[in-house]
Amino acid sequence: MVDVQLMGLLNATLQAATLLFVAALGELITEKSGILNLGVEGMISVGAVAGFITAVNTENLILSIFVGILAASIFSSVHAFVTVILKQDQTVSGLILTILGLALSALLGKNYIGRKLNVKIESVGKISEPSNVIEVLLNQNIIFYIAIVLMVSTAYILKNTMFGRRFQAVGEDSKSSDSMGLNIVKTQFIATCVGGAFAGLAGVYLTLSYVPYWTDGMTSGRGWIALALVIFGGWKPYRTAFGALIFGFLEALVPRLQTYGFELSPYLLRITPYLITIIVLVVLTIYKEGETGAPRNIGKPFFRENR
Amino acid sequence: MSKYILSKKSSLNELATLYSFLIGLLIAFIIGSIILILQGQNPIDVFSLMLKLSVGSFNSISSSLNKAIPLILAGLGIAIINTVKLWNIGAEGQIFLGAIFVNLIYINTDFNSPSIHIIVLLISGFIGGSVCILIPAITKVVFGVNEIITTLLTNYIIIGITIYLINGPWKDPNSLSFPVAAYVGEEVYLPTIGEKLSAGFLICVLFTIGAYYLIDKSVFGYEMRIAGGSVMTAIYAGINAKQKAFLAMLIGGGFAGLAGAIELLSQTHRVSTGISQGFGYTAIIVAAITGMRPIGIFLVGSLFGALTIGGSVIQTIGVSAYIAEIIQALTLFGALIAQFFFTYEIKEVENG
Repeated sequence: MVDVQLMGLLNATLQAATLLFVAALGELITEKSGILNLGVEGMISVGAVAGFITAVNTENLILSIFVGILAASIFSSVHAFVTVILKQDQTVSGLILTILGLALSALLGKNYIGRKLNVKIESVGKISEPSNVIEVLLNQNIIFYIAIVLMVSTAYILKNTMFGRRFQAVGEDSKSSDSMGLNIVKTQFIATCVGGAFAGLAGVYLTLSYVPYWTDGMTSGRGWIALALVIFGGWKPYRTAFGALIFGFLEALVPRLQTYGFELSPYLLRITPYLITIIVLVVLTIYKEGETGAPRNIGKPFFRENR
Repeated sequence: MSKYILSKKSSLNELATLYSFLIGLLIAFIIGSIILILQGQNPIDVFSLMLKLSVGSFNSISSSLNKAIPLILAGLGIAIINTVKLWNIGAEGQIFLGAIFVNLIYINTDFNSPSIHIIVLLISGFIGGSVCILIPAITKVVFGVNEIITTLLTNYIIIGITIYLINGPWKDPNSLSFPVAAYVGEEVYLPTIGEKLSAGFLICVLFTIGAYYLIDKSVFGYEMRIAGGSVMTAIYAGINAKQKAFLAMLIGGGFAGLAGAIELLSQTHRVSTGISQGFGYTAIIVAAITGMRPIGIFLVGSLFGALTIGGSVIQTIGVSAYIAEIIQALTLFGALIAQFFFTYEIKEVENG
């Protein structure tokens, strides 16, 4: 019985972590190119509502996932246009992307609040009460496995391929990269849209599997935790995944604490993930003493004139 | 052979900011109209109804200005903090904690004079806002922790605490199942000008002038700007950059906290989740769109207050209130696009 409880916790941990990790990995890719996008929360929300609306109307899951990814990616191109092409402030643009994304998805999803979903991204193994680690892993859905593939391939490409090295050079030193003949604008634009696509995937995970329904503001700060995870992970895919597991564990643990006999208000328990994110950021910043591993050009627009 | 490069023509002056804002507003209304048409609404009908119900009478103007108060005060707070080149995304939480502090002091104190009582409560709200930003401020100044993320996460924490309070210790037993705190007594309601306009608007005017003086005219404002600029300049000028940043954050947070106090004492009259309806986020748009200029924040805040009122009344004809929020966000995007053309030019240069 203890095993089933423990495995239930592990199962919920992996689910929560998958969502956070996919969004964080997308942001990591965007930031590696030197573009900061604070619009993760808004992009997840747009992906979530677009996927949900498509699923309710077509009951076609593949199409819904695709639409969610595409919608968030197109939405993120607004940020790419304003910051990469027009060189405007990345902080301002990203923040407004979040506000716009939340409002837009609330408007689009107005008639879908409380609507029942007839299709849902099912777990691969369809095990109702997993009793060991293998069963828990089999109990995840396809997006969990996609996330693992994305993690391994992103880490490999960034570290071991010429393409990955060049890509990172854009975020580290855009002037030298430009003189080497790399197309900075194109690279940053695409990296921003890829970040949006990943956020969209996180969004459809939320509405088509994790929750699954639609309501306003249901992203509830996960986009911001994903942003913190990128810092936590030092802009490295595996460490970001490790961070996602820790936060996934907390998100899974909090609602279970009461069943374990903790006498604390559920309302106060709900704020613990946000509190712990702050504490972790503080500890990490002290520990690293400023050497965070952030791409050096992050937030700075690229001008050929400055070369 | 020649090629073309992007070149910075000039920095953004006040007039260019104004033009950018107007162009942004135009773009936002065009896209807003398209969204309305797609939703099966006639944009002209919707916008004229919004206009009529937000500025059509003295009472509706009063409602609009009441909504502008938190936008302006929180926006001013964001601008003060941005003087040291830091971001305050936590105005939403600061508004809530301001209101919580008001209620906390209200429950635990007793004053014979209502006017002194009100002043004490307003100050409590300001302090509440400062307390709310205390942890992001300390961690930023001492350890260099990213203040964008810490101030944002604080919002979720404070709103969580609000929900805890109104479901637990502060739950009004008379409200049955609806979680809200008990009303404050009528003696501490802020007076109104005319039928509806809160006296908080006068406070708002005073604080706008104060913020303008603080940022643009005072020695402290000058020191804040240097502190937010280069580290070396601050050292040469003998300015303690960390101290200025810390003070700027506390003052800025206090402005948003005061907004929460005014909201409680003149609008909701009790702590509930309705203390702020995203004012802290809209205030970011208001502050950014004006280039962090206090007078601009006052004007744009007033306009956005009217837009918010317009947005809430058109719900009655089945249009989502979110259209107002979307127009506000799109205005900033439109303004950013316009600003590009005011600040950059495409230059032709000889190759090699």
